[in-house]
Amino acid sequence: MTQQTIRLTQTVKGAGCAAKLAPGDLDRALCGLDLPVDDNLLVGLERADDAGVYRISDDLALVQTIDFFPPMVDDPYRFGQIAAANALSDIYALGGTPKTAMNVVAFPAKTMDIAILRLIIEGGLSVMREAGVVLVGGHTVEDGELKYGLSVTGVIHPQRILTKRNLRPGDALILTKPLGTGIVATAMKAGLASPGLTETVSRAMASLNREAALVMAGFTIHACTDITGFGFLGHLAEMVVDSGYGVRVQVESIPHYPEALAWADMGLIPAGAYNNRNFRGSFVDFGADVAQNWQDLLFDPQTSGGLLMAVEATSAGALLEALQAKGIAGAAIVGEVVAAPSERIVVNSKMTKEPL
Amino acid sequence: MTTELDCRKLDCPAPVLQLKELLEKQTTPSLAVLVDNEAAWQNVHRFLAYQGYAVAMERQGMDYRVLATRTAGAGGVGLAEEAPVAVRQRQSGQKKILVLVSTDKMGHGDDGLGGKLLLNFLKTLKEMRPELWRLVFINSGVTLTAAGAETVPILQGLVSEGVSILVCGACLTHYHLLDKKEVGETTNMLDIVTSMQLADSVITV
Repeated sequence: MTQQTIRLTQTVKGAGCAAKLAPGDLDRALCGLDLPVDDNLLVGLERADDAGVYRISDDLALVQTIDFFPPMVDDPYRFGQIAAANALSDIYALGGTPKTAMNVVAFPAKTMDIAILRLIIEGGLSVMREAGVVLVGGHTVEDGELKYGLSVTGVIHPQRILTKRNLRPGDALILTKPLGTGIVATAMKAGLASPGLTETVSRAMASLNREAALVMAGFTIHACTDITGFGFLGHLAEMVVDSGYGVRVQVESIPHYPEALAWADMGLIPAGAYNNRNFRGSFVDFGADVAQNWQDLLFDPQTSGGLLMAVEATSAGALLEALQAKGIAGAAIVGEVVAAPSERIVVNSKMTKEPL
Repeated sequence: MTTELDCRKLDCPAPVLQLKELLEKQTTPSLAVLVDNEAAWQNVHRFLAYQGYAVAMERQGMDYRVLATRTAGAGGVGLAEEAPVAVRQRQSGQKKILVLVSTDKMGHGDDGLGGKLLLNFLKTLKEMRPELWRLVFINSGVTLTAAGAETVPILQGLVSEGVSILVCGACLTHYHLLDKKEVGETTNMLDIVTSMQLADSVITV
């Protein structure tokens, strides 16, 4: 054990992906910008996807992404692992294979021991090794608040890119990790989370979406994304927008940390959850039986959340079994794509029969 | 008398924590909380509503003034009696387990071993969650809640997960530990008997 007198989460304002700029603000900053045009840019900024994809040749494209944030856990090594798993996740969500990474670091060298930075980077490296990714460099700036993450480059076949767009009516939606990390991180910061729960949630955030992506590659997946800062409904809304179809979600089947529901009632909700709701709430119809704390949880910003896959209903059972066989025990079918109401997300507590 | 709490310039979750601390010390018929951002107002609103307050809000320039009045039905149900986490996590129909700890060691035989066993027992109790509802400490069991006891952090962990802990006041007095108790609510025999009646099963150590 390293001597630790400093609690990382007490040194920063935001926590993890909950520190993301409000989505509405980002849209205002980006809308109308004159973006360079290139036929080889297969997935770019305008589609708000998880990572950018650039075609090199007919059978090879580059996938690039970057993610970094302030700590949401107090243990530096664990924080490094979580930040790395979170950054790599975008590549997996597109169906790509990550190859190289660069550290992105903001470090308060005046107030924090440099040994902490070493532990963070060691944590990041442990996850990169697990992912088969090499660290090729990095960039560190002195800053008032600690932040860490990765810029990742991967490869993908141009014909096998999984984006958020391409939902098909009848598709089942599968989520691979429990929801609630934003609220739990807020409770951790408040000193209310037990050591046991802190460990469980930290381990889940530090776990790669690699296995889930490998399993997914053996199935016909129509669309995929990873659940991070915009929350479950925020990312689902990105899938639904302009798709021509709608989605029905059953709250009862959604994997989650039960403690997060209790803390939502207590008002331990990160500001990001409210931002997400303000931005995407207009796409969502909550049934009268969906409790307020569930609504909060569905907009809760996730750090290193799971993959959300849209798969043909006939192969959903087999995909779920394959995921569970690989140790992704929490994976569950959480909803389905429907023809109507189009471009709406209908959330109910229990499974409801589709109207004729 | 309206209690005032200024939570401006505080980031989430600090306003809710300050409020929680205040209400744990005193129940107040009405209070006003000042915050300066929407998330804080929403969070304070949720917390107060859950505690049985009727909540209203008025804008004061850039700030939000949250006004709360205790509703009749909520009278007397303070935080001290039952943490909100505990209430919420038990779904209707869920079993309630009460564990009565009447000793500072487990079983008869070697006392050193008995102490270690009880420590391990309390550590493992969380596996009963979410059915684990309440722990009641009586007789020499109350020493486990006092300053210096190895069990204190374990019990604090259980409280943070929503388990309520009651500690016999007469027993604390007997062992001269009344001001050394570090976890749980001091209680009386009526509360203990009522708890046993409400529980679906009682486990005695």
